[in-house]
Amino acid sequence: MTPIWTHLVLNLGQVAFILVFSPLVEGVLHRIEENIQGKSGVSIWQTYRDIWKLFGKDEVVSEQSTWVFRFAPIVAFVMPIFVVLLIPAFTAYPLFFAFMGDMVAVGFLMAVSGFFVALAGMDTGNIYAAVGASRTHMVGFLAEPVFIMVFFSVSYVANSTIPYFVTATWGASWSNMLQPTHLMVILAFFLLILADEGRIPVDSPAGKVEIAMIGHSKGLEYSGSSAALMKWGGASKLMVLALIFVNVLVTPWGLAATTQWTAVLSAMGLVLLKLLAFVVILALVETTLAKLRLFRISEFLAVAFVICLFAVSIRLVGIT
Amino acid sequence: MMAPVSAIMLSIDGSIAALFVIFGLGVMVSRQMLASLRFFMWQASALTASALALAYALQAVNLLWVALITFTTKVIAVPLVLRWAAGEEVYGRREVDQAMGIPASVLVAAMLALVGWFAVAPVLPTLHGVPFAAINLPTGLIMVLWGAFTVAVRRESVAQLMGLLIMENGAFFGSIAIVHNLTVIAEIAAAVDVPIVALVIGLLIRSIRRVTGSTRVGTLDKLHER
Amino acid sequence: MNADWLPVLILLVPLSGALLALLNRRAAPYFSVLAAFITLLLGISAAWHVEAQGPIHASDGLFALDALGALYLLPVCFVYFTSSLYAIGYLWARKQEQASDEAEPRYRQYFPLMNVFALVILAVPLVANLALMWIAIELTTVFSAFLVAYEDRAEALEAAWKYVALTSMGAMIALLGVLMLYYGTHAAGQAPTWNGLLRAAPHMSAPLLLLAFVLWLIGFGAKTGLVPMHTWLPDAHSQAPASVCAVLSGVETSAALYMLLRIYPALAANPGIHDPAAWYMTAGLITVGSAAFMLLQVHDFKRMFAYSTIEHMGIILTACGIGAAVHEQGTVYQLFAHGFTKSFCFFAAGLAGIIFGTQEIAKVRGLISRSPAAGWALVLGTLAIAGAPPFALFLSEFEILYTGYSSGQYLPTGLLTAFIVIAFIALAYQATRIAFGAPDNIPEQHTAPTIKIPRSSLAAMAIAFIPMFVFGFYLPAPLLHLVHEAALMLEVPA
Repeated sequence: MTPIWTHLVLNLGQVAFILVFSPLVEGVLHRIEENIQGKSGVSIWQTYRDIWKLFGKDEVVSEQSTWVFRFAPIVAFVMPIFVVLLIPAFTAYPLFFAFMGDMVAVGFLMAVSGFFVALAGMDTGNIYAAVGASRTHMVGFLAEPVFIMVFFSVSYVANSTIPYFVTATWGASWSNMLQPTHLMVILAFFLLILADEGRIPVDSPAGKVEIAMIGHSKGLEYSGSSAALMKWGGASKLMVLALIFVNVLVTPWGLAATTQWTAVLSAMGLVLLKLLAFVVILALVETTLAKLRLFRISEFLAVAFVICLFAVSIRLVGIT
Repeated sequence: MMAPVSAIMLSIDGSIAALFVIFGLGVMVSRQMLASLRFFMWQASALTASALALAYALQAVNLLWVALITFTTKVIAVPLVLRWAAGEEVYGRREVDQAMGIPASVLVAAMLALVGWFAVAPVLPTLHGVPFAAINLPTGLIMVLWGAFTVAVRRESVAQLMGLLIMENGAFFGSIAIVHNLTVIAEIAAAVDVPIVALVIGLLIRSIRRVTGSTRVGTLDKLHER
Repeated sequence: MNADWLPVLILLVPLSGALLALLNRRAAPYFSVLAAFITLLLGISAAWHVEAQGPIHASDGLFALDALGALYLLPVCFVYFTSSLYAIGYLWARKQEQASDEAEPRYRQYFPLMNVFALVILAVPLVANLALMWIAIELTTVFSAFLVAYEDRAEALEAAWKYVALTSMGAMIALLGVLMLYYGTHAAGQAPTWNGLLRAAPHMSAPLLLLAFVLWLIGFGAKTGLVPMHTWLPDAHSQAPASVCAVLSGVETSAALYMLLRIYPALAANPGIHDPAAWYMTAGLITVGSAAFMLLQVHDFKRMFAYSTIEHMGIILTACGIGAAVHEQGTVYQLFAHGFTKSFCFFAAGLAGIIFGTQEIAKVRGLISRSPAAGWALVLGTLAIAGAPPFALFLSEFEILYTGYSSGQYLPTGLLTAFIVIAFIALAYQATRIAFGAPDNIPEQHTAPTIKIPRSSLAAMAIAFIPMFVFGFYLPAPLLHLVHEAALMLEVPA
């Protein structure tokens, strides 16, 4: 096949990669957390069964809701698919859609999906979903400067905003990898993942108390295939952020350098291993920290912001 | 010092310095005293790591001793001394409040970092043959300034003690890049000085707690001109 | 005996005094006085040796003593001796005079701590290495913390806390400066001592030296009590017992000032630093001015003497800048005389405190009629510290002002004169308020048995009076020579 067709197939393969493996990632994360807490935990394939079950059920939709309510799960499901087309999932070279958008576009896509989901939460009149939506927007508003600073520092170092080129820059040499800006950006981005994905210490993913939910109240009103799409979309979003973290920032190696299917398959395996390591670390961090009180979240994100600012200023004054 | 150092070691030292600053920020903004102490221990570990990295890169045996002495006194001895001298005050999980909120403190810290950077900037070009000074010296001065700010803005005695300790960390961090010939006596004495200071301050905290019933020294203001 | 051993001996004697005081509590005061007396004799002989035969260099390079160090060493030894003598009776009398329900003061720790405290102050002029000097200065804070908090009251603990926090903060800032100078002297191929610094200074990079100096000014300035880092000084020096205050005010703040003075020739020798004298004059004048105005509104007579200490530190710093172009004799003589004079003032203040049971100026009246010795001592001490003739400080202040006017530096010298005059007025006013007047404001609990002034304290005060008075009009020739030599060390090499 000509390179263009190969790239297209690989790009679509990335989408399949996300859709197939994201419930597994979520299942493994859940299982590890419960094991650390001393419980035996549910099976790691449980999320697949939940999604399958939900697709088979009927939907109940409130009469007071509008088209936003019905549209939001589709947006939430599709957004990670678009994002994964732009980031290096298992190849080191840019693929067919790679130049469709850069990191700023990634941020924009996430913002669009968050916008619709939050609006849909307020759409039905359920008080808990509305409270959760407003809190999500608060956290998002505070996390926005951090996102921008991360993108800015990363692109400042790499002289480009395309994720593939950023990967190449970090992986170029050990002195690039170990520079302080890199370390600070990793730290800040990890804190961002915790905030954006609603993990402890920002929000409790396993909690069922609606009044304490921040981001996880978005799925309260959905049922049937909408609920399945929301669940699948949420898991895909976590996997996409994790992919950006491990492939672009932390370990920019091990990605396929050629289009040979052996290289691609081994790269997929390596990426899954890296995701496993990330999930383990995430589980450890989550189980050792306590959930922050709501008004302390601004301090948490302020620290992330300062770390990022520091990273940029180190680079700006040209120490290393 | 005449041989050029590898870029990798520069990057490693830079990352250690960045971690040093982050831990210092952690000491400044920690709400619990125990968290402050833990961040201080991590910061002292970062100081040790930097000394080891510089000892390897510059082939300076003296810095190995510095690393060993720093680790022993600051990571091991100081927490033990504090536990003995003022255990309930430090190891009780209590919240510390501050005169300035955390976001405002962080902003002031950022401004102090700028001040420190611009104070050191004219000195750096004149330092010849000291490759790591450009990383360590500004970091050290910034940490000294942040420590002074912590002492000034926190109202709690243990937090002020942490401020003093990170100032000492900063002074040493700044100097390991430029001073390689500190006599052993001076090094040991300066290092032993830290647990002694911690001891005296711990005992003082205990006395303050016994006499006034709390350790919030920021509220002690009976002595002033009327 | 071989003079090279003198520095080590001078340090060993207080150490053994401290150990003996730990071993035998009852005889501790007497061991202290004995150790202090021996130290005084050793100090005088060391200074004599330096004056006659030049600086002492111990063979292992750890210790050294030169003229300026010897001139500073003398008041330290003397105040150590008189304060130890004074403390014998004073501490007992103070315990009697305080209300019985207050907590037991730390009597048992006083004498060992005092001896170690004196040891580390003595170490400052005696050690050769800059880093060891810094350690000595930091240790003075550490060992005097519980001397300031001698009485277990909330105010004393507050004063001790502020003292330790602020001076340690200053010491850490100065540490970075000391280590930068360490690098600077090493890069120029010299040893990290005062001589090495002076030789290396013309070759050091100006920004490095300037940054190190600024760190010293802030760091050691906090320890000296320069405004605006002075806030701990009135508290610490008013809450500590008078024998400790004498050492703190008389010689401990001077230790940090000594460091600031000795870096001046290095600054002047470096071609890249413009007008270091202006730095000293500005810092000094701000301090003197603030202290003079604060003296006008003080309510407690020990705080009054503490502000006077701040004022004198400022005067010495300003004098260093003023005399840079001419000669520094006034500066070094003021450093020398201040130790004796301030300790005498605090001895008198301590006795007044015992007699009245309070330190507030508004509550004490007619001290002279109640106790002529203490009353006259307070009046004379206040006049002496304000710079009146025929006391030693008058000579030094006159010398400083004369140097300033004769070299044409009218503005700084004029300001200095104005501030000294304001301080004089304030001090004299407060002293007359305390000493004269009818003794009608007697607190009730003192109508019954009047506290007798302990004889040891009176003796100490009388001994302390002698140099303060005699050096106001007569300096023995060796001492005069020593002053000249010390002043030469501060002057700019031509």
